[in-house]
Amino acid sequence: MEVTDAAVVAQVLAGDRDAFRVLVDRHSRSIFRVIYRMTGNQQDTEELVQETFLRAYKSLARFELRANFSTWLYRIAVNRTLDFLSARKTHMQTKDTYQIVDQPDAEESNQVQLPTLTPGPDRLLLSSEMKRKIAGALGLLTPAERVAFTMRHMEGRSIEEISQTLNLKASAAKNSVFRAVQKLRQQLEPYAGPGSTTRGARWGGSAVK
Amino acid sequence: MNHLSEEQIVLHYYGDAEEASEVERHLAACAECRAEFSRVQSTLRQIEPLEVPEPAAGFEEKTWLNLRDRLPQEGSFLQRLFGQQQKWALAGAMALLLAAAFLAGRFWPRPGQQITQQQPSQVNPQRVVLVAVGDHLERSQMLLVEIMNADSKGPINLSSEQAEARELLDSNHLYRVSSQQAGDPQVARLLDQLGRVLAEIANGPSEVTPGDLEQVRHTIQSEGLLFKVRVIGSEVNSRARRPELPGSSANQRL
Repeated sequence: MEVTDAAVVAQVLAGDRDAFRVLVDRHSRSIFRVIYRMTGNQQDTEELVQETFLRAYKSLARFELRANFSTWLYRIAVNRTLDFLSARKTHMQTKDTYQIVDQPDAEESNQVQLPTLTPGPDRLLLSSEMKRKIAGALGLLTPAERVAFTMRHMEGRSIEEISQTLNLKASAAKNSVFRAVQKLRQQLEPYAGPGSTTRGARWGGSAVK
Repeated sequence: MNHLSEEQIVLHYYGDAEEASEVERHLAACAECRAEFSRVQSTLRQIEPLEVPEPAAGFEEKTWLNLRDRLPQEGSFLQRLFGQQQKWALAGAMALLLAAAFLAGRFWPRPGQQITQQQPSQVNPQRVVLVAVGDHLERSQMLLVEIMNADSKGPINLSSEQAEARELLDSNHLYRVSSQQAGDPQVARLLDQLGRVLAEIANGPSEVTPGDLEQVRHTIQSEGLLFKVRVIGSEVNSRARRPELPGSSANQRL
């Protein structure tokens, strides 16, 4: 029978530092996937996976053994990534502002680098040009919007999970997702073909109550 | 008739709108809002989940090996005691390594200088230093990454990073001198730059403000230090791994 994560944590807390390796073996791939979706860069992701486990180890005494270790680790990973994206954005803003470019290249320009999106067979709009536009548009989001949008849209996490992970009120989590979508629409709808423009002027006006 | 707001439509797409049944009823009755909803739907459907590459085989092993040395020594009494012994062993090994680096620096042949004798059974001191410098650059890279990624909210405690910077600073000077003597200006220049940043970290206060942290980050970024440490570190490591050709050791630069 496999030893539970909680039992391994207890073993580490009792002084067996090397037992932490079991947790690294079990969870590093899933944490890699979570972080990669937010950074889009393999090298940054590998470093952030290490940072996540390091932070988890240092905070292990605060982990409640009845809680789910993978959820706890996921929260650390997301917050660590958010800090990383914020630091990177601050650095980039000292040089220039974000701009959509035709050929985004995170190393060369002030874009958040994203991996290539896989086109579905029935998605005519997912041309390479459109993928570049999407990458560029995602690069315009603030780190918090980017993380909230990734969690909601790409991982299908609930607003409750997002708010708990990012330590936000539910209304703030919803607002981050909405602002992200709003920015993405502004960037992408002009390329989505005729008749696709938003109602624009009416937004922010009266709403159904 | 009031229309749905953009926020209501977007949140409805994800099933997160307040008063969902009211929104549904409105959409059923209002062609304009329905059209808007389908525009939102069409845009968001284009943004598919990212395809995540599978990490290379041995990823877990590599993660653990890189992590293990960075884990703080905490835990039971026995573990702390054992940790102390490890620290002494590490200090001894470090002293030996530094002595080897010093000797290699002193006796390193200048460019153009011929070596007339070399005993094949002896460990090549140049290779020892190459390995040591590679390791030094790798540790420095990890430290710089930690500084670049440190939380920048409120007062920031950098005491563990400072302790690491102090250790690195001690050996950095020796390696810089050795590489200068070995006629390797590229590595010497890098170590010189690195030394200045390490000194800034090591000698600063242990608790810094976000502004102070930003200043250190700015120094690292403006000099492209992290990138240089990565590139030159990997070059040094690959030179250290390269098989030694007979008679080539004399001219192997750092």
